Amino acid sequence: MLQARKNRLWKLIVILFLSAGGISLILFSLNSKLDLFYTPSEMLQADIKSGYRIKLGGMVKNGSIMRDGTIIRFQVTDFIKEVPVTFDGIPPDLFKEDSGVVILGYFINGMFEAEEIFAKHDENYMPPELYMEEGKV
Amino acid sequence: MIGEISHFLSLSAVLFLSLILIFNLFFSLNKFHPNQLMLSMRLFNQACWLVFISFGMYVYLAISDDFSIAYIASHSNSQLPIFYKVTSIWSAHEGSMFLWIVFLTAWSILFVNSLDKNHPLKKLTLLMLSLIILGFLLFLLLTSNPFERILPFGAIEGADINPILQDPALAIHPPMLYLGYVGFVISFSFISAYLLKGDFELQWEQDIKNWSFVAWIFLTMGIALGSWWAYYELGWGGYWFWDPVENVALMPWLAATAFMHSLFASSKSNVLKTWTMFLGILIFALSLFGAFIVRSGIIDSVHSFANDPERGLYLLSFSGLITLLALSIFAYRLPALNSSKLVVSGSKESFLSMNNILMITGIFSIFLGVTYPLIIESMSGEKVSIGPPYYNTIFSPLILIAAIFIMISVDALWQRSMSLKALFISVTAPTLLSLLFLYLIWRVTAVFSILAYIGIFSGFLILFSYLFRMINNFFKKKYINKGSAVAHIGLGLLFFAVSMNSILSYEKNLNLAPGQSISVNESVQEFSFKDIQVFKASNHDVISADISFFHDGREISLSPQKRKYATRGQITSESAIHTSVLKDSYLTIGDQLENGSWTFSLKINYFIKWIWFSAALMVSGMLLTIFKKKVL
Repeated sequence: MLQARKNRLWKLIVILFLSAGGISLILFSLNSKLDLFYTPSEMLQADIKSGYRIKLGGMVKNGSIMRDGTIIRFQVTDFIKEVPVTFDGIPPDLFKEDSGVVILGYFINGMFEAEEIFAKHDENYMPPELYMEEGKV
Repeated sequence: MIGEISHFLSLSAVLFLSLILIFNLFFSLNKFHPNQLMLSMRLFNQACWLVFISFGMYVYLAISDDFSIAYIASHSNSQLPIFYKVTSIWSAHEGSMFLWIVFLTAWSILFVNSLDKNHPLKKLTLLMLSLIILGFLLFLLLTSNPFERILPFGAIEGADINPILQDPALAIHPPMLYLGYVGFVISFSFISAYLLKGDFELQWEQDIKNWSFVAWIFLTMGIALGSWWAYYELGWGGYWFWDPVENVALMPWLAATAFMHSLFASSKSNVLKTWTMFLGILIFALSLFGAFIVRSGIIDSVHSFANDPERGLYLLSFSGLITLLALSIFAYRLPALNSSKLVVSGSKESFLSMNNILMITGIFSIFLGVTYPLIIESMSGEKVSIGPPYYNTIFSPLILIAAIFIMISVDALWQRSMSLKALFISVTAPTLLSLLFLYLIWRVTAVFSILAYIGIFSGFLILFSYLFRMINNFFKKKYINKGSAVAHIGLGLLFFAVSMNSILSYEKNLNLAPGQSISVNESVQEFSFKDIQVFKASNHDVISADISFFHDGREISLSPQKRKYATRGQITSESAIHTSVLKDSYLTIGDQLENGSWTFSLKINYFIKWIWFSAALMVSGMLLTIFKKKVL
């Protein structure tokens, strides 16, 4: 092989190796930083380790909101199963009973401990999964 | 009637633009006929004016409360002040797309008319711009028609603008952002025209340089204003959430920043020409990708418009088509383009191109973060989302490497290699000083976080290297590029402020009855809930709490509010903010409990105002560069 070609081949190999390394690092960090999304039924079926941050999406069950100081307890439902949630803080303005929420937090011993509550800035918002479910109910 | 005329004018613009394209089909792309160009130019200018007049009439319709137009009926209201009647036009998809097109048209008409009438690329640029405007006008009229009437009887009253959008920032943030997004249509179409023409003796950098700089300023201001709005009005309490819609604005920004840097290198020392062209095309392609993500509703985000597969499909096909078109021409011409000089290693260009690579890595990581949930969902059906931790881990090492290259490049020379000794001298002092200050920060705050410390250190590296450069400039009269210095100091300050904010800020949730007073922590004392008032304002009811507390010995009074809007029944919270140099006290009122007490959330945000100040510095640096007599 010509020296010039050999050099080019080496360069190519080094570049490929470096970019493969870079991309796998990115993918690795991506996989460890994913928040999986569950509906209440899925969450109760799945075997979730308590250290994993996950997202729960559903409707706030009618009449389930209880307040205790700054702590709020409520139930999230997909009209099949319910998951109890606790949250310390002020929920967004659009958080109310019978409306859609997405909650980020940890599922520990049957209780969902919320870190953050998202209610979409659209009063008619409902998580897409539930939209389908409600059609059935 | 006016609605129909306005609609008709937009349709005529479509006709005129199609005429330009059809008419030019009869001529060779590369031949130059003065009359052909003159006729195309006339048609193009008229088409642009038709769009402007059509939009002007639409604004009139909104001001005059024509609720027979479906879009105006569902987003405006006769009780609104005129200001909000106008801004309500871009408060949802159809109208904002209209505004987007108006800006696209405005940039295009200004740019094409600024080119000399004998400019060899004028015709091809004109054709490219006509194609793009035509595609978006068709998108507007076919899939998101803002002129649609409610027939046979119009609405009596409008449904009102969403209260959270009833804010002066709505008048500035989206227009600025759109001006930035579509401004890069100029580099996109001009570079495509240059590649199509195939005459590589021509110089193209000078013609689009200032246009791209101005577009960059708009994009930067648009993003910064959006972040500021989210903080003070929407009550989100933060400035950046790595939300998909924020990410799709950051991608073209990074590409534009990389583009400007390599444009300097390319026009100054004839290097990286091909790369610069590629970036010039990439920016607008990323803007279009952003438009697709936001307007198709494919990704769930607080900003996204309603889910509409038809719109998504059209946007994806059209954006894909013109991006593919530009990239194919680029690929076709690539073998002939490789004529630019090589970068001298150790020169300013070499460090600058390293940072170009880092910015591309950043874009790629964001792109992956935005699309990965879509890929996973289509492959396994699992729903996942990617939050701030991903972006923070990716960006902090990138920022550190970028800061090191910026530090070295401050003293590096164009086209000449830097000696190891010179490099050593120029980096030692800033590095040592940064380490010293990092240590001081650790002693003062007693908080440690690896990612934040990387950010602070990176910020210091940039700030101190420019500090030394300024000292050298002052005493030894060494040259300093003022625009670049101001912009980079802004960047250093941004890294510093963001990182300090992340380690020092905290939030406390409180529960108090009126008349009650508590002490929150060592620095926040005598937090007292004095009174709660209920009163009526123009179109909403207000609940306002009077709170005062001592923050590090200074008395602060704040009145956070809750508002209930009459027409939609929607409730919004108005946070009250007290700003000092180092920190903001950000107070939000929550709900009333059964025992009559209320909940509050008190956020102490450190260095948050510095973030927008550093964005302002970056913009000022750019302005200095534009208005300097001899730019390159």
